[in-house]
Amino acid sequence: MYGTKSKIDLAFEYQSQVAVLRPSIHSRRANLTVKFQDLYGFTVEGNVDDVNVLNEVREKVRQQGRVWWALEASKGANWYLHTTIGQSSALTSSLKFSALTNAITLKKLIRKGIPPVLRPKIWFSLSGAAKKKSTVPDSYYDDLTKAVDGKVTPATRQIDHVRSSPFSFHDHRTQLGLVLNSIKFLYYGSGHQGPSGLFGCLLFNKCLQDLPRTFPGHPWLDTPEGHAALRRVLVAYSFRDSDVGYCQGLNYVAALLLLVMKTEEDAFWMLAVLLENVLVNDCYTNNLSGCHVEQRVFKDLLAKKCPRIASHLESLEFDVSLVATEWFLCLFSKSLPSETTLRVWDVIFNEGAKVIFNVALAIFKMKEDELILTHHVGEVINILQTTTHHLFDPDDLLTVAFDKIGSMTTNTISKQRKKQEPEVMKELDQRIRRLNSLRTDDK
Amino acid sequence: MATIGHNNLNAKLVGPSTPFRFPLFLSQYFVSDDLFLSSFRQVLLGDMGAGKSSLVLRFVKGQFLEFQESTIGAAFFSQTLAVNDATVKFEIWDTAGQERYHSLAPMYYRGAAAAIIVYDITSLDSFTRAKKWVQELQKQGNPNMVMALAGNKADLEDKRKVTAEEARVYAEENGLFFMETSAKTASNVNDIFYEIAKRLPRAQPAQNPTGMVLVDRPAEGTRGASCCS
Repeated sequence: MYGTKSKIDLAFEYQSQVAVLRPSIHSRRANLTVKFQDLYGFTVEGNVDDVNVLNEVREKVRQQGRVWWALEASKGANWYLHTTIGQSSALTSSLKFSALTNAITLKKLIRKGIPPVLRPKIWFSLSGAAKKKSTVPDSYYDDLTKAVDGKVTPATRQIDHVRSSPFSFHDHRTQLGLVLNSIKFLYYGSGHQGPSGLFGCLLFNKCLQDLPRTFPGHPWLDTPEGHAALRRVLVAYSFRDSDVGYCQGLNYVAALLLLVMKTEEDAFWMLAVLLENVLVNDCYTNNLSGCHVEQRVFKDLLAKKCPRIASHLESLEFDVSLVATEWFLCLFSKSLPSETTLRVWDVIFNEGAKVIFNVALAIFKMKEDELILTHHVGEVINILQTTTHHLFDPDDLLTVAFDKIGSMTTNTISKQRKKQEPEVMKELDQRIRRLNSLRTDDK
Repeated sequence: MATIGHNNLNAKLVGPSTPFRFPLFLSQYFVSDDLFLSSFRQVLLGDMGAGKSSLVLRFVKGQFLEFQESTIGAAFFSQTLAVNDATVKFEIWDTAGQERYHSLAPMYYRGAAAAIIVYDITSLDSFTRAKKWVQELQKQGNPNMVMALAGNKADLEDKRKVTAEEARVYAEENGLFFMETSAKTASNVNDIFYEIAKRLPRAQPAQNPTGMVLVDRPAEGTRGASCCS
């Protein structure tokens, strides 16, 4: 089963050849559309302008590569790791200074983009994934995937039983907890007696439906091999964190991580660090409470940073989370062209989740003049979708995101989140109680 | 889009595909929703994989994809339908089906004039989910909401788990109208939207108080409003 990894690498070789838009991106400029592949193998339908822009972008990527190589040559291959001033006071002031300049250089450089070939290496160290991985045995991922692959335990038989009768979500979760406990015992307690084949199947059914529905038509992701790799990453993660389990949206994120990182294992660790350290807590759990919090923070920020747009949209009764929810849950992977999405991710992994707000605000900001002339919800959505789908030049977006939005620190965002949290929890709680009372009424 | 409308319908789809466009220079005289175009918000709810997006895609674009990208949050589409002497513009919110996305649903069904609750005839679980949605809408939704129950994937007769009779009885008891549909074969797809359009009260105000739409806006309105996320 791990033999596929080398094939993944092979499958990636075509990448260096060309650029494209995603199948989900349809050009609105009718008539003269061309289909081509982008840097990450997505089929893009665009007009001639789009092709030209993509060619320019490819040239910029090459130039940016030269900058990185030059830095490696002058500062050493892993210079970007020496950006934090160590706790030991033994550091000389000149070392401190060089760490500081490295940090500043790196921040600027990353906002201009990491060359695709360097992405796996740099993402892995900067995001903290490497550190996370180093805290467990080397065989962690292999053991985990083996453990969840096709074996039967008493607990899974219970699940099987549950599955044969109609079960509610809550039953499902209880059973899930049971199984996971037994897995933890088996995994950490008695070595490699693999648990949970049937449970796996249960969960697989959910994921399985989604595998061919994740970027359909992609030359690698949409193959049996791509599906299998994506499934292993998603299922492995669902066992690592039972609260998250599998949440739709993660399929897109994990798929793109696979494309970038090239090995399942690294993609798995990137997913782990993203969910556990980078993004707000509970973004993908049970009732997506983290995501609700982010949406409220975003609404407030829009009112503060783009007051004209915010008040106009309010007059249309347009709730920005109607469109922004998908941006936050898929980290733009369903909306922006692939290289633009990954440029956003470059910065997220270096600067944190606040970047999502910068970018989301920038999308609105870029279209301020058009948005305030809209009369209707449909028009607003149309403008935003057309804009995101055609943002082939990442710099168009990132320049606005970092130069025109004004700075936002992670600290400010955290404070905002804390402010919104109680209200969100209260509302979600009330809702669940209302729904439960509906159900008991029914009985 | 030319594939739309091969069903035996009185309805004529006047969407982006039809050659007729209301002359732009006249459109300024028809700015009222009530006079010419009523616009209604509609929401699709149902279990993951029941075929909500496929139904909308079939209705709006006349297409069917064996593997439709999974919807995250919700996707927006619009389509205009001529029903007898009136023109109805649907603003359709196609929602994500996974259970945990449930908490986002009120944002989409709040203020909706119509809902299609979709289940998959080959899955009992999805029928159970559909009933829960009906219950929730009855308690939490707009009281005048027109509700339709769609038993989708009707082409998979040999895998059927939910009988049409069972669903029909349930729908009747709960004041919904019921159709079995197939996004794949297009069976009953236009019909169910058309039936909803017929049942919508014409006098009902449009969702957006400020939604005074110019009748035809080739640049934005109908042309690109269908989405593909």
